[in-house]
Amino acid sequence: MSVLEVENVTKTFTMEKSKILVLDNVSFSVGNDEFVCLVGPSGCGKSTMLRIIAGLEKADSGKILFRGQPITKPTPKIAMVFQLFGLLPWKTALENVEVPLEVLGIEKEKRKHIAEEYLNMVGLEGFENTYPHDLSGGMKQRVGIARALALKPDVLLMDEPFSSLDELTAKTLRGLVLDFWRNPTLPTNTFVMVSHNVEEAVFMADRVIVMSPRPGKVIGEVKIEISRPREEHLRDSEYFGLIDEVVELLEKGKNKTKDVSPVSLTANRANNI
Amino acid sequence: MRKYAVSFVVGLIILCVMSWLIVTFMSYHEEIGNLPLYTFSTISRIVITLLISVAWGVSFGIFAATNKWASLILTPFIDLLQSIPILGYFPMVIGFLIALGPLGIELSVIILLFTSMAWAIFFGVLGAVRAIPTNLVESSRSFGLTGWRYIRHVILPAITPAVVSGANLAWCDGWFFMIAAEYIQYKGTVVTPPSGGLGTLLAMAAYQWQDMNVAIALLIFITFIVVYFNTLTWHRLMERATTGTFKPVFRMDLSGVGKLGVARATSWLHFGRLHWPKSFSIASQRLRKYSHIEKIIAAVLAISTIFVVLYIVFGQFPTFAIISERFSKPPAEELGSLPLLVALTMGRLTIAYGISLAVAITMGVLAAEHKRFAAVFYPLYDIGQGVPILALFPVIFLGLKEILGIEGVALELTCIIMLVLDMIWYMFLNVVSAVKNIPTEIKEVGQIFGFKGLKRITHLVIPSILPSIVTGSILSWGTGWNTIIFAEYLPSTQQGGQPISVLGLGSFLDKAGYEWGNTVLLIFLLGIIAVIVLSMEGFVWRRLLRKFEKYHVEV
Repeated sequence: MSVLEVENVTKTFTMEKSKILVLDNVSFSVGNDEFVCLVGPSGCGKSTMLRIIAGLEKADSGKILFRGQPITKPTPKIAMVFQLFGLLPWKTALENVEVPLEVLGIEKEKRKHIAEEYLNMVGLEGFENTYPHDLSGGMKQRVGIARALALKPDVLLMDEPFSSLDELTAKTLRGLVLDFWRNPTLPTNTFVMVSHNVEEAVFMADRVIVMSPRPGKVIGEVKIEISRPREEHLRDSEYFGLIDEVVELLEKGKNKTKDVSPVSLTANRANNI
Repeated sequence: MRKYAVSFVVGLIILCVMSWLIVTFMSYHEEIGNLPLYTFSTISRIVITLLISVAWGVSFGIFAATNKWASLILTPFIDLLQSIPILGYFPMVIGFLIALGPLGIELSVIILLFTSMAWAIFFGVLGAVRAIPTNLVESSRSFGLTGWRYIRHVILPAITPAVVSGANLAWCDGWFFMIAAEYIQYKGTVVTPPSGGLGTLLAMAAYQWQDMNVAIALLIFITFIVVYFNTLTWHRLMERATTGTFKPVFRMDLSGVGKLGVARATSWLHFGRLHWPKSFSIASQRLRKYSHIEKIIAAVLAISTIFVVLYIVFGQFPTFAIISERFSKPPAEELGSLPLLVALTMGRLTIAYGISLAVAITMGVLAAEHKRFAAVFYPLYDIGQGVPILALFPVIFLGLKEILGIEGVALELTCIIMLVLDMIWYMFLNVVSAVKNIPTEIKEVGQIFGFKGLKRITHLVIPSILPSIVTGSILSWGTGWNTIIFAEYLPSTQQGGQPISVLGLGSFLDKAGYEWGNTVLLIFLLGIIAVIVLSMEGFVWRRLLRKFEKYHVEV
């Protein structure tokens, strides 16, 4: 039973005098409890794809189904973490987490309690009354993650959440996100992440969906079957083999000319070592 | 907070002392006895108009920024309204006067002030809403912040710095135009608000009594009010408004300049935060390419407004016959020399522009790079741009007349001086902000490769700030047009006496408005000015900005 179904989504952006096709007949599905990563070069439309799933943009044709229902606008069941954090600069960390809860109609005391709980979970205890201006990039993203998870959504979308952070911080936060994903007490089990970092994608995802340069199409998928926790396997040849597979697909996408025939979707490739 | 309260009270005390001095020593003009009342009237008028302007500017600004149709109709129309000098609003105001009596006069003063104050806030809000970073907009939407919630949680905090700086500008503009709004001349008679005002007093002192001493005393009084409370209130507000925002903070570090009072207050000058929004929003608003639809809408709205105004003035629908009849009435016979008049006025503006450009760039570069010069120039700027130039007008003229003896020459010189004093501050401000914004890398490159002195200025500094010079020029010329309309024409000094003027477009306009009340001609001349301004924008400023765009280094 798939949580998210993306069917034949096409999207065009209209500038002053020209139209740009960013997504060309993209289809894939995301199952319950899955961690899926969309990988592709810059400008391939993966962020746009994520925004369509989030309800921030509308597809020109095709549809997105969330548990069988089409998505038309943002819903609290699908939360998002942003590359540039998206925190309101005039609100403290605590208030930033509280705002979406206020929209849901939760009363003040309960809001505060939930917000404090989630800020604790991301390791920001003591920073509740700090403004984003005084937080580091990593801390800001922790607030972003806390804010998204506090809604107890079914699906968590992440748009290049670690690209604005230095590598060491990114590493810590990747572990944090995976902990949340695996945590049985948290209701959010399905994660969809967009990245341009292949190693990151192979490290985190169950499945890596590879997209071509613009106009974005799905070139193929690579199933990652390395056992978790994967920190222990970062030097295995299996890991590097999978990275090579993904890179191969990316190269294939780059080398194709305009008249590309969409590759079959759920291509399960055996691990070639 | 306590420091602020203390400074405020000190200011009030000084004000009381000054007014007591003036009343005691100058009560040979009996009107002077009303000084406290008049001060109160003027200040309350400006405060009321400020509140109205903020309310209007914020609501319409948010509306125009978020609604596509509103943006299409409102923005070009408000841009048009903003370019009309206050004199252009007189015909409408006079319509009110006739209809409503004393209440009408009070109302019309407020309306006139509104037309000088409201636009700064509108465009500031517009620019600030448009400048909200995309990731904020997206994340807010994705978490369900829509409609009123979005306005409350996202828009209002984001525009607060722009509203405060816009309100500051509006406050200054209000004082600038106050003298024109509180002493309206129409067909030989003078209309003043029944509750009096500082502008009325100053105009009477200058035009009717021709008393330099009183005029200067009043001028100092007014300047004190504007500058002192400016630095006190607005700077404080700006500081509080900009904590917790993401804008770059510009702080001029001046150490130990005096104790209490103006010097101390001016050392807290926060340039970029105070005035940058106006430079940005209004100038970039003018240079924004309006689409064809927007231009058409603006033209239609302009023409319909003109018809409405004419309808009010004539009391009947303006037919072609009525309009052409006005064109044969005085002073339309001087229309033949229109090209000459335009040339003369443009000449004055160009000379003043050249002078202010040279001085402002010199002052600006020096102030931005050397603390010692900054300590002198920043307070100068603060006081200079706080002094209502229009209030200086009669004083300067009287002074020059005494020195030079010939009225015509004195008026010409007064014109130029006033224009320079008016145009110089926007340029100075833009130059300083731009120099401070030159990326460090460029400066480092200069250092490594041994660029020094004049070579450094001409090869590094000036090219980097050229775009800002263009936007500063647009603002300078805009305010220059406003000023020259007043500067070319000195109203009659005694009741029934002859007004003094120099040949030019501005004085022609004034004659049409003040002496003959020829509304049709007035509107026609305003149209001419609008055409000149728009052509300059299209052929000069836009071209220059495009050319200099590539000089701008994106950090």
